[in-house]
Amino acid sequence: MQDLISSFGAWVQAVCEKDPVRARRWLARGYRAKELQLRFDPRQKDRPADRMVAEQTMRAMTLPLVHPERSAMASLFLPCEPLQVMGLYPYSCEGFGCFLSGTQAEQSFLQHAESQGLPDTFCSYHRVFIGAAEKGLMPKPRFILNTTLACDANLLTFRRLAEHFQVPQFVVDVPYETVEPAVDYVADQLREMVRFMEQETGRQMDEGALRAAVARSQRSMEQFDRYMTLRADKLLEGEITGEMFTAFALHTLLGTPETEAYTRQCVAEAEKALPAAGVRLVWMHTVPFWVEPLRKVTDFSREVQVVACDMCFEGLLRGPMDEDPYRAMARRVVCSAFNGPVERRIQRGIDAARQVKADGVVWFCHWGCKHTLGGAQLAKERFEAAGIPCLVLDGDGCDHSHGGEGQMATRMEAFVEMLKAGGRSEA
Amino acid sequence: MSTTYYICKYTPVELLEALGGTCEVLDEMPDNFSLSDQVGHPNLCGFGKSVLEACLSGHVKELVLVNCCDTIRSVYDILAARGEMDFLFLLDMLHTGGPRAAARTRAELLRLAEAYAAYKGTLFDPDRFRAAFRPAAEQEGPYLSVMGGRVGDRLFHAMAEAMPLPLRNHTCVHDRFVPPPEGEESDLERLMEPYARALLEQVPCMRMTDVTGRESLRRSPDLKGIVYHTVKFCDYYGFEYSGLRRDCGVPLLKLESDYTAQSSGQLRTRLEAFAESLSPETTLTGKGRGQMKKGYFAGIDSGSTSTDVAILDQDRRLVAQVILPTGAGAAVGAERAMESALTQAGLKAEDITATVTTGYGRSAIQLGDKSITEITCHAKGAFFLDPTVRTIIDIGGQDSKVIRIDETGNVVNFVMNDKCAAGTGRFLELMARTLELSLDEMSAAGLDWKEDIAISSMCTVFAESEVVSLIAQNRRTADIVHGLNEAVAAKTCALCKRLGGEPIYMMTGGVSKNKGVAEAIQRRLGAPLRISNEAQLNGALGAALFAMELA
Repeated sequence: MQDLISSFGAWVQAVCEKDPVRARRWLARGYRAKELQLRFDPRQKDRPADRMVAEQTMRAMTLPLVHPERSAMASLFLPCEPLQVMGLYPYSCEGFGCFLSGTQAEQSFLQHAESQGLPDTFCSYHRVFIGAAEKGLMPKPRFILNTTLACDANLLTFRRLAEHFQVPQFVVDVPYETVEPAVDYVADQLREMVRFMEQETGRQMDEGALRAAVARSQRSMEQFDRYMTLRADKLLEGEITGEMFTAFALHTLLGTPETEAYTRQCVAEAEKALPAAGVRLVWMHTVPFWVEPLRKVTDFSREVQVVACDMCFEGLLRGPMDEDPYRAMARRVVCSAFNGPVERRIQRGIDAARQVKADGVVWFCHWGCKHTLGGAQLAKERFEAAGIPCLVLDGDGCDHSHGGEGQMATRMEAFVEMLKAGGRSEA
Repeated sequence: MSTTYYICKYTPVELLEALGGTCEVLDEMPDNFSLSDQVGHPNLCGFGKSVLEACLSGHVKELVLVNCCDTIRSVYDILAARGEMDFLFLLDMLHTGGPRAAARTRAELLRLAEAYAAYKGTLFDPDRFRAAFRPAAEQEGPYLSVMGGRVGDRLFHAMAEAMPLPLRNHTCVHDRFVPPPEGEESDLERLMEPYARALLEQVPCMRMTDVTGRESLRRSPDLKGIVYHTVKFCDYYGFEYSGLRRDCGVPLLKLESDYTAQSSGQLRTRLEAFAESLSPETTLTGKGRGQMKKGYFAGIDSGSTSTDVAILDQDRRLVAQVILPTGAGAAVGAERAMESALTQAGLKAEDITATVTTGYGRSAIQLGDKSITEITCHAKGAFFLDPTVRTIIDIGGQDSKVIRIDETGNVVNFVMNDKCAAGTGRFLELMARTLELSLDEMSAAGLDWKEDIAISSMCTVFAESEVVSLIAQNRRTADIVHGLNEAVAAKTCALCKRLGGEPIYMMTGGVSKNKGVAEAIQRRLGAPLRISNEAQLNGALGAALFAMELA
């Protein structure tokens, strides 16, 4: 299967050299085929919820390739309910960075970005997408919407893409401080963003439908939160890739009936699952799912499971929702664990680790993510002070050329062995 | 009196001074990051690490930061958690302008004022506030601009020394100018309204949403060239550079440093080469180019791997060519190579009218009359060998470079990769050793490939382990070598593309002798490479040609 994927990836890159539009069509067909396989192939080991979210993501990722004129590019942390209500497909730059890497089709795009003078220290998810867009593989969206959260890359990539595609851009500036005036500030910008969308599409926002979508988001988050609590005592085997699909569902697709159905399914499966077994890990930041030796440690294993990932739970809000849907969406962004000092993100990780009864935490320093790697030592200190062993793991979430698979797997295995023996890591 | 340090031009310096502070830009370039690496991560940007280094060493006790970027946010997180600073503050600066942002900025200024006044035990002094504003520096005449990521004093002086024109520092905090508020207002809260607006209305840095105002940095007709600096692991300015390289209007040099003191030295070759390309007429001290002189002329290229000597007679005929390993010292290596060349030509030292040295070791050699960078010498040599050449690809032992020249042989632009062994002769040498091949065997081995193996890692260390595992999988040596050749070619062609390389291409340097690499580069470029018999001697040849032009 891996050979088939790598051949397809190499082929897409080769076709893109001569005919990027044809390569795009094949990419869409490939993703569609994967979606059908997920739905109908009985050999798939995934649990129904995992299959469901993978299928939903595949479909959502394929749509902008086929209907770019009905798509708006949206950064991962941008509340997407307004897009859903206005019938626009969210087009995810970070998602395609991931998907192209999953298709093993990222190298020529990374090289192209570098040849344009872009720094090779820049986040590889963004670099892959920029390379693919500028080589013509990625289609032109109607417009671009992005937040300044969660990292510097958001400011740089989307500005460059707006220039490249020659499309309008709307930026939602997220203040660092998590105070009420910051929520107001972001809510005002979201209102302005909707006016911008109305102007660009000539359609009116159905405020009632928006309120309903935001309420769905809230219900989905509450269900997912409940699922995490249930999961604490349950064994649910799966793939680490699934965490990335869930992150997509709880961000870009949050507010859709599909995400609500998915979180409901998660709860249903957790209720019926067997009692917990093996070593249980919380994963902080993106998952380098392309690292085969790492997957061997964690995927479909009774011995080791990744039971939560902060890319999924970072935005979960508890308590009553704001009446005003714009304030509700704004609060989610302002209160994101990725906003403000890293201590907030660490504390959210500690809380989640306790909620899911994790044995340890992996703090994954994705290449180029300064916020994550800058907080690594502090995170290790804080987690361990809270009695949760922590492994700081350096790697790259999507660039195969950064290598180090063997080293990554060795550290991971040693960490698991240590947890089994009840110890602490010094790494 | 204690000093409050700051790093960003959006810092309200005048407000801090009005509250009794003495402010200074934090610009220290440390020798290494030994302290910061203990608490941070090696892949934070060098400037962020230098801030940590200055604070952890105890030198800086008061610091006002702005949430400029992810690295500075991390620096604040680390310092705040340690709790060792006397005063530490992070100002939340928004990414946009306009009335809403100004109102939030004003609130942040008041928050800072309260904290700083409490720390200093002072009150806001409106007279001190007004006195703290500095007029904009007025300069006239042709100049070069340093743009991009922050350039500290040490690096700026190294740049200024090498450049033929006055240099202005337009990087980061050094580009700060805030006009004083109009009127006689003395109330702090009311004064902060226009002050917040003035801070936000400065020439924007790259972390702001709207950066169109940065074009003003390039509008002056007196601007004659740009030295564009980026700090390793700071991504903001790489994006601006990427746009400027397409459409800059003036000569542009890209430099990257890691913000250590040593980096200023390492950048010398590029700075000197840029200066030479800005004013080719001053590259020579003598009485003009092209005049025929009597005698013999020597060029010595002291590289990391080999020292090459070329001797030309007055009719530009090559009478000696020597390539010897550099050995332990550049000076000794050069003397040995020169002796050997003189013997080959049947000459004595006094027969040599002039000598020019080039290469990494050029300054360490006492023999020469002048030293010129290898970039300018390579351009000279290549143009002499073939005047139709417009792009030179030189892959040496420890660096690779691409040089573009115009129809008169002058350097138009160049890029260099010398920070790591990726894509250099050293990389191939190490891989050949792993495969137990000689360099000659490796040169031909890759031509006989059957399976297209991708070596994904260009890091020498990781690539070596990839090669070892390919050997373990019984892959054919020819296929592995082909994979390595392709990897080097990809890296080189990316450099070439970055520079906008155009035909006709010439390849020089030791790696030009590797047939497999040359073939892979040609395939990727989609154009033939001209490789002269003197390809490895090209730098020395260029130096010898310059020697002819010396008085």
